[in-house]
Amino acid sequence: MAQPGLQRKTKIKVEDSSSLKGTLASVFLLGFFLIVTWVGVFYLFVERF
Amino acid sequence: MKTVSEKIKVDRLDGKLGMAHFYVAFIALAIGGLAGLLQTLVRSGKLVLPAGIGYYQILTVHGVVLGLVLTTFFIMGFQLVAVSRTAGTFTSKQRMAGWIGFWTMTIGTFMAAVMILLNEASVLYTFYAPLQAHALFYLGLTFVIVGSWIDGAVIISAYAAWRKRNPGKPSPLLTFMSLVNTLMWIIATIGVAATVLLQLLPWSLGLVDRVDVAISRTLFWYFGHPLVYFWLLPAYMAWYVVIPKIIGGKIFSDSLARLTFILFLLFSIPVGFHHQLMEPGIDPAWKFFQVILTFMVIIPSLMTAFSLFATFETYGRSKGATGLFGWMKKLPWGDARFVVPFIGMLSFIPAGAGGIINASNQMNQVVHNTIWVTGHFHLTVATAVILTFFGISYWLIPHLTGRTFTKAMNKLAIIQGVFWAIGMTFMSGAMHAAGLLGAPRRSSFSEYGGAAQAAEWIPYQVAQGVGGTILFVGIILILYIFINLAFFAPKGEEEFPIGEAADESEKAPMVLENWKLWIGIAVLLILFAYTIPFVDMIQNAPIGSKGYKLW
Repeated sequence: MAQPGLQRKTKIKVEDSSSLKGTLASVFLLGFFLIVTWVGVFYLFVERF
Repeated sequence: MKTVSEKIKVDRLDGKLGMAHFYVAFIALAIGGLAGLLQTLVRSGKLVLPAGIGYYQILTVHGVVLGLVLTTFFIMGFQLVAVSRTAGTFTSKQRMAGWIGFWTMTIGTFMAAVMILLNEASVLYTFYAPLQAHALFYLGLTFVIVGSWIDGAVIISAYAAWRKRNPGKPSPLLTFMSLVNTLMWIIATIGVAATVLLQLLPWSLGLVDRVDVAISRTLFWYFGHPLVYFWLLPAYMAWYVVIPKIIGGKIFSDSLARLTFILFLLFSIPVGFHHQLMEPGIDPAWKFFQVILTFMVIIPSLMTAFSLFATFETYGRSKGATGLFGWMKKLPWGDARFVVPFIGMLSFIPAGAGGIINASNQMNQVVHNTIWVTGHFHLTVATAVILTFFGISYWLIPHLTGRTFTKAMNKLAIIQGVFWAIGMTFMSGAMHAAGLLGAPRRSSFSEYGGAAQAAEWIPYQVAQGVGGTILFVGIILILYIFINLAFFAPKGEEEFPIGEAADESEKAPMVLENWKLWIGIAVLLILFAYTIPFVDMIQNAPIGSKGYKLW
């Protein structure tokens, strides 16, 4: 009886609960934001000075 | 289910000491907030102050009372109770010292406030020479600093006693963090104490005629930049230690949090020149060196961002979240103790981006002395930090007064946070935009003789007035909540949330508590960054400036 239950369990696709891929994406978005704002003002700087 | 540690309460007498600090802090918020509202209305061109009250006088009230008084009192109060909670109740001697510190700061605040209200000290919160205030203003600020040192001594002594009782063990995280912030504060305030005691006070008393402006500003900014980290680190304490517990998660890494704080101790002081990038009398090479050190301070902030994302994601996934950002949905969006500081964290992203721009050497020319800078620090201290302080108050005030944070207050607190976010988006957003168009900071309303460029700024100034008004509603709400939590909320128990590390077996490396090493490196960096420029300034000193009272 235990056997089929076990098999069923293995079929469920479980996402790794220790995954930090959201964190990776978040820090990349943060870095992207920092770069975009910096380049924006750098452009103003080059235009004006 | 509550664990034993959750029920630990701050000792009642230590709590009273903390509350005394918070009363002054929130009175300061009321006064400074009103001054801020008036400023934005004056600058919108729609209001002229009655009874000859000057714009620069209320600007000084706003800056001194919020930037120096509210922050210092709240931070010292918070750190004292955090140390009492995590390193053990204070001895009666320590508590007595805490009260002496409190009263010294309070008397100093009163002296400075009276001088500002008498219009004898409208020198703005940076009190730049050659603007000259009444001597009692400088003396009052000296008392505030000395009082904070006495409070700091209590924290150092409580830490030392804990270490003695627990040899070979890393100190409790909140105590460690409070200690780092206190050490940084003491090292940094030596600069402002030096300029006040050796330059400004004798000069305002008429003992000397002239003051060396470059040296006084350099000493001010030696203090002024670590000051902003002194504001920020208590917010980081809440983000690292308290928020994980509130959401039901864990601290991502105890050691990482400690390392972050040590990096702040090392890099937040020898960076003052990035406030003086446009000033003469300092070799550009030394300015650039301090720019590099300033960029080093970005590292611990990015480590903090990573650590917080990781805490949130780990918690969300433990609750079954899937996908790239599914964990966001699992966070407790109905809990003001989380939501309000979270708004603060979000605001720190544009705040940090702006800070990097400000410090980028010659790029500083785009924004220097424009109202962009004002917009910048209203995102850092007046949103990220202050909303976190509000979030702390929502559990700490009732914890100390033996009351509870009711559902109704929780709802109001979230509304407060939303008001703040909207008001600040208008105000700070408009300040950033107007600053890029060249609008100056520290300036009353003016049409600049009908100049076309100045006319461009006026719509943004009106937007600042709108934002300032919305923010003032936010101030009324937080004051209402504070009074409720201090005096009227139902009696009960409110938890002092302290998170645990995700990996309980992780023991923080003891090298992080080697203060000879870290203070030694901090001092070496300071000496390296400042010695030669100071020698230059002294050797090539001009005759100095007489005092001016332009208000």
